[in-house]
Amino acid sequence: MELRSGADPRRNALLCLVLVVSHCVSVLGCGPHYQHAIEEFCLAKFKLDMHELDQRHWCNWEDTVELYGELTNCTYLVAVKMGCFWPNQLVDEFFIHVHRHYFHDCSLSGRLLRDPPNRILGPFIVVPILVTLLMTALVVWRSKRSEGIV
Amino acid sequence: MAIVGHALSIASLLISLAIFFYFRSLSCQRITLHKNLFCSYVLNSALTIMYLAGVVNDPELVRRNPVGCKVLHFFHMYMFGCTYFWMLCEGIYLHTLIVVAVFAEEQHLHWYYLLGWGFPLVPASIHAVARKTYFDDNCWMSAETQLLYAIHGPIVAALLVNLFFLLNIIRVLVTKLRDTHRAESNMYMKAVRATLILVPLLGIQFVILPWRPENRLAGEVYEYVMHVLMHYQGLLVATIFCFFNGEVQAALKRQWMQYKMQWGQRRKDHCSMRSTSYTATSITEVPAFMYHHDCNSEHLNGRHTDDSELVALKTGETYA
Repeated sequence: MELRSGADPRRNALLCLVLVVSHCVSVLGCGPHYQHAIEEFCLAKFKLDMHELDQRHWCNWEDTVELYGELTNCTYLVAVKMGCFWPNQLVDEFFIHVHRHYFHDCSLSGRLLRDPPNRILGPFIVVPILVTLLMTALVVWRSKRSEGIV
Repeated sequence: MAIVGHALSIASLLISLAIFFYFRSLSCQRITLHKNLFCSYVLNSALTIMYLAGVVNDPELVRRNPVGCKVLHFFHMYMFGCTYFWMLCEGIYLHTLIVVAVFAEEQHLHWYYLLGWGFPLVPASIHAVARKTYFDDNCWMSAETQLLYAIHGPIVAALLVNLFFLLNIIRVLVTKLRDTHRAESNMYMKAVRATLILVPLLGIQFVILPWRPENRLAGEVYEYVMHVLMHYQGLLVATIFCFFNGEVQAALKRQWMQYKMQWGQRRKDHCSMRSTSYTATSITEVPAFMYHHDCNSEHLNGRHTDDSELVALKTGETYA
């Protein structure tokens, strides 16, 4: 019991020291410097590209997938250069900020909504019209028949 | 501003319905169809007001996207269809009455009720299914989708069929019946004229909708006209079918005369001059405007003299 209680505080102290050192390292490399770096290098280019693209197309995945991929790659490269682990909390916050600004009103089911192709749209329009005409013919025929007695 | 149009429409339609229900003498099968048509317009305007005020003006609700707003949209589309299909019922009724079986009125209205109230569920349901599967935006508010043609297509088809029927009626009235049944054809020409004015008015919004002019002044005029055509429809229908109807006007005038004489009678009784009351009551017995009736006058229970032409028809005179 005495032996263990004697060993524990030393182990705790060692653990604390390791944590503090690694925290210092991460703060120095992957803290505000990292954030500043990705904003200056990656976000600026992304902003320029998205502004060239019309705002209405921001929710269109085909148009933005390349830009988004470039942004992601850029944050990865900066992290590697600075010796940070990727992904990390700063990158998460960064992307939440990007999503909130550019993609906040895209629909949940997919990005931009689009009509189905004509071979599906066609029947959806033609069938109600045909059913209407049929129903009208039916009503005319029935009212003609019920009107047999003068 | 659209809400103002719909509110005015509801007011005028409710007044017309009150007139139709109060004056029992007016009621016949065509008026029954008018009552159903007016009911569908009232419900349509009410749902449109609910949709505009509750959903379109509330971006927070649209962002939350509850199921209720899609259900409201579904019912809105259903009532929108109902109004046009009741107009079609009016056209089919007149067509059956005039062209198919000459002026004999006892049709079974069940099929008309089915077409007017039941059938619009079909395009509304098809649109709802298609929208949910392929274009499920928030509250289904977007008008950019071609899936809306699942509702507009049948409506335009109904309007075209209606127009065709009405033109056919005009053709028959003018060519075949002019010589043999002049009084009747005059009578029914007025009925058809009212419907024939309304159908293009209701339909023209679909024709000119895609063609907004580029010119600024013409664009303003276009917006104004479209606004009136789309949101004041109930008012137009009530005016043309009820307020401009000769028989309704006659009934209202009779009622007004009765009230005036009752007040006058009370005053005169109070002054104890009773001799005037006998001359006053005789005025109400004047038969009113026999040839301006839209309904078959035999339903007015013998208030009119001399329906010899109608009697001749009734005794089995048919025509090819």
